Amino acid sequence: MRHPARLGIAALALALASAGCSTATGGSSPSDTSADGTAAKATTVSSCGRELSFAKAPRRAVTLDQTSTETLLELGLQNRMAGTANLKTKIPERYRDAYAKVPVLSPKILTGEQLRAANPDFVVAAEAGLYTKDRAGTREELGALKVPAYVSAVDCPRRNGSGRTPFDLLFSDYEKLGQVFGAEDRAAKLVREQRAAVADAAGTAARVKDRPTVVWLYSALNGTPYVAGRTGMPSEMSRIVGAKNAFDDIGENWPEVSWEKIAERNPDFIVIGDLSERGRPGDSASEKRALMEKDPVMSKLAAVRENRIVEIPGIEMDPSVRTVHALRLLADGMKDLGHAR
Amino acid sequence: MPADRISVRPAASAGPAASGTSAPAAVDLLRPAARGITVTAATPPAGSRAALPRPVLVLGIALVLAASVAASVRIGAADVGYADVGRAFGVRLGLDVTPLPPLADSLVWDLRLPRVLMAALVGAALAVCGAVLQAVTRNALADPYLLGVSSGASTGAVAVVVLGVGAGALGVTGGALIGALVAFGLLLALLRRSGPDSVRIALTGVVVGQLFTALTSLTLMASADADTTRAVTHWLLGSMAPARWESVAVCAVVTPLGLTVAWLCSNALDAFAFGADTASSLGIGVRGTRTLLLVVTAVLTSVAVATVGAIGFVGLIVPHGVRFLTGPRHRVLLPCSALVGAVFLVWTDALARSVLAPRELPAGVITALVGVPLFLLVLRRRGAL
Repeated sequence: MRHPARLGIAALALALASAGCSTATGGSSPSDTSADGTAAKATTVSSCGRELSFAKAPRRAVTLDQTSTETLLELGLQNRMAGTANLKTKIPERYRDAYAKVPVLSPKILTGEQLRAANPDFVVAAEAGLYTKDRAGTREELGALKVPAYVSAVDCPRRNGSGRTPFDLLFSDYEKLGQVFGAEDRAAKLVREQRAAVADAAGTAARVKDRPTVVWLYSALNGTPYVAGRTGMPSEMSRIVGAKNAFDDIGENWPEVSWEKIAERNPDFIVIGDLSERGRPGDSASEKRALMEKDPVMSKLAAVRENRIVEIPGIEMDPSVRTVHALRLLADGMKDLGHAR
Repeated sequence: MPADRISVRPAASAGPAASGTSAPAAVDLLRPAARGITVTAATPPAGSRAALPRPVLVLGIALVLAASVAASVRIGAADVGYADVGRAFGVRLGLDVTPLPPLADSLVWDLRLPRVLMAALVGAALAVCGAVLQAVTRNALADPYLLGVSSGASTGAVAVVVLGVGAGALGVTGGALIGALVAFGLLLALLRRSGPDSVRIALTGVVVGQLFTALTSLTLMASADADTTRAVTHWLLGSMAPARWESVAVCAVVTPLGLTVAWLCSNALDAFAFGADTASSLGIGVRGTRTLLLVVTAVLTSVAVATVGAIGFVGLIVPHGVRFLTGPRHRVLLPCSALVGAVFLVWTDALARSVLAPRELPAGVITALVGVPLFLLVLRRRGAL
């Protein structure tokens, strides 16, 4: 499921970006601070209701989850990071070298003490829920310590720009982070690439016959199916490629439903999340297929009988820098299944 | 009368009876019930070693507590030395010391110190609530959560976290506090007609708790995703991590007040062991005292649960362990329970943040893991096992 070509491009981009980065920070050699501090330009970005000001580009950023870690690595910022935390699954091949350069502060959720001990000058999280008193500390607390705390626009419930798709929000993250780190070019390039990938997938929609319905089966832990609801990225991805998420009536990201409910919706095809990296029972795509073939109700569904199934890495179904890859797999899958010409 | 007491707390009474000679003299002195049984064995040391009176015992545990607090301030994610603590204090006292770097200062002053103090306060509150409720309900299995306040707290917290009810204004702590007080209000309303009879308190508390547990599960199942569920579950297990000076201040006001009220009711608590009839024949206003004590324990527990979650085990086992040391008289049992509970939670929290570092464990997990062997050790040494 890896894409060698893309990987090569990414690696190249990463190398370029890190090269650019080391020149940008210029005197990153021991004798730095004053020269560097005055050279870097001050900037302010808004993040989920808070204005974050930077006198100079951060040099000790800490990421609180894998999604933000990968975003910063994609932007080639590993030399500006003081640590990462909260790894959900494996780091993809193309980030592995860069990831190895950054200390892992905690494999799990970072605590306030650990965060402060890392002496960060910037904190980035994809989930707002990581900024609580029993975790990293609130954004207000960190703000008072002059440590700006960034939350992805995707997980900002108060986001006011209605009509903005999750992809738009992701792209706004890239641009803001690029601005903060003085890596605008790299960020603009990433936005361009991903926007093109979204447009490419949207091209599929024009060639789709009668809007097929799809069920996204994310996880079947303990035999209970978790599917994509209306608010998550999969619903948006379905819309982009001209399909309809069968569980758009549930206003949650990953609601827990029953096999009977899935059968009742009788989708034209099923997307299953491959979580084999997580490795719990029922996580791999083949186990999910077997579960559905064994289930008395599911096995009678046309989608299951005729094997109208698309496999997508589960981790890519949530909004992150890797999501465009899932979008492409979805568009390709629909072509293979004959839903699009 | 001794027979009655034995039937109430068999474990507590069996101890000194079986090991009267090896026990410190104070134990038998404080336990008239037990003295009747082992009078010959206990009297000689009681005469010669009356030098270990209650104040000495209380003072001794208080010193242990102070040492524990001092020692555990250093334990955690980053190495914090006494010099660092001194600098953090010195700067705030306006002394001429070099301030710590802002983040290190925040680690020590905003997180570590409140956390250790919070553990001491909550440990004390829970242990005393446990001791009081064990006496009021005459049930050795009573703990601070018997009244259903922790279930109410979790419902309130879940309502805030999951449903977003008043999330901005209240926060999790506020939601939990309101939930706990609502649950307790319901308990009082249910007890209003029957009066606070010991069995009814226990049963009604269990019923109220079950109701709110079901509401919590319902809310979680109906509308939470996996991440929210995990966050709430972690909170329910209890952790000192959210402690800050504001919450410490609330506990530092409420806890001593509550403990004092409970301590002033010591005689009534002793009398409750013999049943409501005997207690009232001793001139104790059973109904009023019980209600007062229920209110006190509910408020103490609510404040603790709202801040740091439902930390189990402390309130159940610490009073039993301390009873072995001090005997069942509440005048000594309560202060000693408070101190031992504080020491216990200070250390379990220190373990929680260091044993699997960099991961942090919920303190509620550690309390039982550490407490069970400790308690079995106490039982064994007292010859009760």
